[in-house]
Amino acid sequence: MVHLVTSDNVEFVVEKEVVERSVLIKNMLEDVGESDQSIPLANVSSAVLRKVIEYCEHHRGEPLPSGDADQNQDETRKRTTDISEWDQKFITVDQEMLFEIILAANYLDIKSLLDVGCKTVANMIKGKTPDEIRRLFNIVNDFTPEEEAQIKKENEWAEDR
Amino acid sequence: MDKFTALEPTRLYLSSASATNKRASRAQPISRWIGKLPVDIHLLVLNHLPIPDIPAYARASRATASLSRDEKIWEQRWNDLAITRHALDDTLDDLESKQKPKASTYSPPTIPVDDDFGDFTSAPRTPSVPSLSAAFTTFTFTDASPGKQTFRTRYIRAHSILYKCLAPLQQPPHTVLSALTPLIGTSLLSQARSLRLLSCFLSPRVQPVRNWDILLAALKAATDRFDVSLLTAFDAADSRGDEVMMRQAAHASWEVWPGFGDWEMGKVWAEKREILYEQGRWNPLANFTEENTLDFTPMDEFMASVIRALEQHGTRAVFVFPPAAGVLIGFAERVANEVVGEYIAPLLTRAREISNTLYLTAVAASFREAWKIVDVLTTVSSSFSGKGKDKAEDVVFIMFESNMDEYLDEEIESLKQAFELICKEWARSVPLASHGSPTQAQRTRFLTAQNPALMKRNVLASFTDVLLLPVTIVPRTVGAGVVAVGGAVGGAVGAVGTGMVQGIAMLNPQRWVGGTGSVNNAKEYASFGLGDSEGEAAIFEIGADEEGDTVSIASTNTPATSFAPSTSSTSQTDVAFSASAMKETLAPTGNLDLLLSLDVALQLIHADRDALKRLETFASYPGHYGMRVRETIEEAFCEMLVVLCNRHLEKGFGIATERMDSYKPAEHEETASVAPLLQFFELVHIGDTIQSMVQVFFDKELAPYIDKTDFLNAVVREKKRFENTLDDCVAAGLNAGTQVLMNQVEHIILTLTKPREYYPPEDAPLELGSTQGCTEAIRCLDTHCKLLKGSTSKEVLEVFYQEVGIRLLAILQKHIKRQIISLNGGFQVIADLNAYYTFIASLKVPTITADFSHLKMLGHVFVVEDAKDLAQIVRDVTRYGGAYRPEDIYEFIQRRADWKKIEKTVDKTMYNLSFKEDCIVC
Repeated sequence: MVHLVTSDNVEFVVEKEVVERSVLIKNMLEDVGESDQSIPLANVSSAVLRKVIEYCEHHRGEPLPSGDADQNQDETRKRTTDISEWDQKFITVDQEMLFEIILAANYLDIKSLLDVGCKTVANMIKGKTPDEIRRLFNIVNDFTPEEEAQIKKENEWAEDR
Repeated sequence: MDKFTALEPTRLYLSSASATNKRASRAQPISRWIGKLPVDIHLLVLNHLPIPDIPAYARASRATASLSRDEKIWEQRWNDLAITRHALDDTLDDLESKQKPKASTYSPPTIPVDDDFGDFTSAPRTPSVPSLSAAFTTFTFTDASPGKQTFRTRYIRAHSILYKCLAPLQQPPHTVLSALTPLIGTSLLSQARSLRLLSCFLSPRVQPVRNWDILLAALKAATDRFDVSLLTAFDAADSRGDEVMMRQAAHASWEVWPGFGDWEMGKVWAEKREILYEQGRWNPLANFTEENTLDFTPMDEFMASVIRALEQHGTRAVFVFPPAAGVLIGFAERVANEVVGEYIAPLLTRAREISNTLYLTAVAASFREAWKIVDVLTTVSSSFSGKGKDKAEDVVFIMFESNMDEYLDEEIESLKQAFELICKEWARSVPLASHGSPTQAQRTRFLTAQNPALMKRNVLASFTDVLLLPVTIVPRTVGAGVVAVGGAVGGAVGAVGTGMVQGIAMLNPQRWVGGTGSVNNAKEYASFGLGDSEGEAAIFEIGADEEGDTVSIASTNTPATSFAPSTSSTSQTDVAFSASAMKETLAPTGNLDLLLSLDVALQLIHADRDALKRLETFASYPGHYGMRVRETIEEAFCEMLVVLCNRHLEKGFGIATERMDSYKPAEHEETASVAPLLQFFELVHIGDTIQSMVQVFFDKELAPYIDKTDFLNAVVREKKRFENTLDDCVAAGLNAGTQVLMNQVEHIILTLTKPREYYPPEDAPLELGSTQGCTEAIRCLDTHCKLLKGSTSKEVLEVFYQEVGIRLLAILQKHIKRQIISLNGGFQVIADLNAYYTFIASLKVPTITADFSHLKMLGHVFVVEDAKDLAQIVRDVTRYGGAYRPEDIYEFIQRRADWKKIEKTVDKTMYNLSFKEDCIVC
C-alpha cells in the first residue's frame, strides 16, 4: 500500500499496483523503496486525485506504455482518436475538472489518461470559432485585426470548404 | 508571447518588450501556459485536432498561432501520412504534375481558389519565411537552411495536392474510380499508389477534412472495387500466362493492400497451384522394397517433381509478386506442409511398423530429401541467400518439427538397444569361442605382428578414412553399390579404396547385422549369392591390401559371405563382407584376448556413428529442437563411451586381471612366456587401439558440436572418465601382471639353477656365459617388457619397468643368498649379474639401472681371494654407492664356499678384532 497526501492534506491509501500506473510514483517507489511514509503530491487536489485513482483502478493491470521512443511512435500511430466508452464516461466532467485531471495526469506521468484528456479537449475544440476557443482556454485575443487576417490567410489551406 | 514577435507589422515596437520577455521566460524554463493549460499540453491537444480546426485555433491568440506552426505537430502529421514510409513521394509528385495542367480542365466547382493554394504550397519558401523564422530564436528546427523543407510545408503541399483528389469520392460508389482516373493516372501501379496515398491521407490520425470518415469509407469501397478488378485481371493474365500483366496487377494489388489480414492475390494464386492437389499421384509406401527395406528412389522422383513445381512456380512468383509479399515463402510452406509433410507422415508410420532402425533411417532420409526445398528456394529467389536463408530453412524445419520428438527419443532408445545387443552378442560368443580350436587361438594379434605400432597405425588410418567418408543418408539401390565397387576397383587398390569399401559397408546398419554375424560365426553363413566378378575382384584386392598391412589374413576370409539384405545390391554385400573379413583378422580369438575385442568396439562406434550421422542431418535445427538435437548428439556419444567403458573394457580387463592373479607358474611348462600376461599385454594393445579410435571418432565426429576445451561439458567429462577407467584398468592389470611376471621369473630362476651352478667342480672348464636360469629369466622378462612398448603411456611403462627392476633385484639378492659360491663360481655370478645389468640398462630407467650396477659390483666379493682385501672391499661403502652397508655385504660373503677359512681374517680386518693381540686372556 502506498500513502499519498494531496495539496489539501487529504491522505489516500492506494494499492501499489494501482498507483504504479503513474510513472512518476512508480519511479519514486523504485528509487526510495516501499515505506510507510506518505508521498506528498503538492500539485494535486483531493478531488482530482480521487478521479485519477478511479481511473487507475479501472485500468489496473493493463500494460504500461514502454519508454522506448520508437515503439511509442508506433503506438501512437496505431492508436485511433477514439476514446473507449468507460473513459468517455469517466472524462465527462466539467471543464475545470477536465483541465485539472489533464494537469495531474501530466504531473503524475500517466500517459493514457493524459491522452484521453487531450483527445477530449481536441473534441471540444472541434468546430468552434476562434472566439469560442478563446473562451474555452481563457485566452485573451492579443491580435491586431491585420495580424488576425494574416493568420487567417496563412491557414486558409487547411479549411474545409 | 515572444514567439510571435515574428509578425512583420508588430515587430518594430515589440522587439524591446519581447527581448525582456524572453529573458524573463528563460529564467523560468518550466513550460509556459496558454490560458488554462501549459504549452506542451496544448501541443498534445493539437496532435488530436482535425486539420480544419487548426485555423480557428491559430486565430485564437498569438501564442496559439505560433503553436500551430510548431514543427512537432507537423512532423507527426507528416509521418501519419506515411509518405516516406511507403516511398510514395514519387506518386505525390506525379499527382501534382497531373493536376497542374488539368486544374483548369477539371475545375471542380467546389474549389475555386485552387490556384492560390497551388502557390501557397511554396509560399513558406518565399523570402518572407526566413524573416519570419529568424525571429523564432527559441525554435531550433526553423528552416535555417532555406533549401530544407519543414514538415509543415511538406504537409501543406501534400494536403493541397491530395485535397483536390477528394472531390470524386463524393460521387456514387460505382463512378468513384472512373472519376478518379483523370486525377490519378491510368497505369495500375500509379492508381494503386494514389489510392494508398489517399487512404493514408484520410486516416483518423490525420483528419484532413471534416467528413474524412465518410470519404474514407467511400475510398475503401473504391479500393475494394479496384482490387477486385485487379484480381480478375490477374487471373486472366495467369490463364494466358502473361507474366508482365500478372506482375503489374500483383504489384498494384500489393500497393493497395492495407497491411493487415491476408493478401488475397498471393493466397489465391498459391491455392491454384496444382502441385497442392496431386497427392494421389504419389505413393509414399513405394519406398519400401518387398523385403521391407528402404529404397528412396520413389521419394527421389517425388521430390524431383515437387522441386520442379517449386522451381517453375517459384520463378514466376519471384517475378510476379513483390518480394515483401512473401508469396513464395507462403507457397513453399504450403507445399512443404501439405505435400511433402503429407507424403512423409505415412512413410514414417509404415517404417515404424516394420522396425525401429528402418524408422530412424527413414526419418533422416526423408528430412534430407525435404531439405531440397531449401536449396531450390535459395536458387529461385535471391532474397533467400545470406540472412534470408533462415526463412527458407524454417519452412522445412517447421514442417518437420512434428516428427522430431519421437525421432530423438527413438534414436537414443534404439542406440541403447543396439549397444545392448552388441554386448550380449559378445558375451554370448566369448564362451563359444573359448573352446575353439587351439590353432585359431594363435591367429593374428598385435603381439605376433612384426611391428605392433605400425599395425596399430594402419588400423587407425583406415578407421580415420572410414570416418572421413561421406555418408549416404538416403538409401538408394544402385548408386551406392556402384560407388563402392568403383571405389575399390578403380581406386588403385590403395588404402583409400579399402577405407571406402569398409566405410560404406560399415555405414549401413542392415549390412552390419550381416557383418557382425560373419565375424563371429563366419562359417555358419551359407553364401547366398556370389557377387559379380567386380565384387569378387574387390574382395581379392582388399585381401591383398591387408596382407600388406602386416596382418596375416591367412585363409580365414574365404568361407564367409553374408546375406544380401537387399536383393539388388549383391556387389555391395560382397564388399561389406570383405570389410568384415578385415575385422575378422583383427578380431582377437583365443583365450584371454576374447575378453576385449576391437570388433565390438568397432561395432559400438559404428552403431554410434550411424546415429550421429543421422542426428547430424538435423544439426542445423534452430531453437528448442536444435538444442534437443545437440543434446541427443552428446547423449549418443556419452552412451557409447559408457557402454564401451563399463560393459566392455572394465569387464574384460577385470577378468584378465583375475586370471593373472590365479596364475601359478609352477603349473605350466613353458617358461619363456606367461600366457595370461601375454594375453593381458595384448589386451592393453587392444585397449590402446580402442582408445585411439575413440579419440579419432571424437575429433572427427563430435568436435564440431561441442566445445572441446569446455571441461564441464558432459561429453568431454565422459571421455575423460573413459580414458581414466582405461588407465586404471591397465594399471590394475599391470600390477597383477608384474606379480605374475616376477613369480614366473622367480620360478624360472629357482627351477633352472642347478645345485652347483655357482660352485662348479674345480676341474670343470670355465665358460663365462650366463647360466641357463639367468638367460631364461632375462628372455622371459625381455619378451614381456618389449610387448608393452607402445601400447600404453610412457609413465605407466616406466612405473612398470621400475617395479620389475626392484622386484628382480630382490629376487636376485634372495637367490644369491641361497647359493654357495666358489671362487670360480664367482665369475659365473658376475657373468649373470652382468647379463641382468645389460637387460635392465636396456629398459632405460635410471634408478634401477644404478641399483643393478651396484649389484654388479657386489659380484666382485666372490672373486677376491685374499681375505684382507675382501674385508677392505666389504668395508668400502662408497664402492656400492651407498646401496649396501657393510653388514649387507657381510651377509653376501657368507655365501662363499671358503667362508669358514677366511671368516676370521675378514672379521679381524673388518672390525679390527684380533683375538691374539687384544685378548688379555689369550
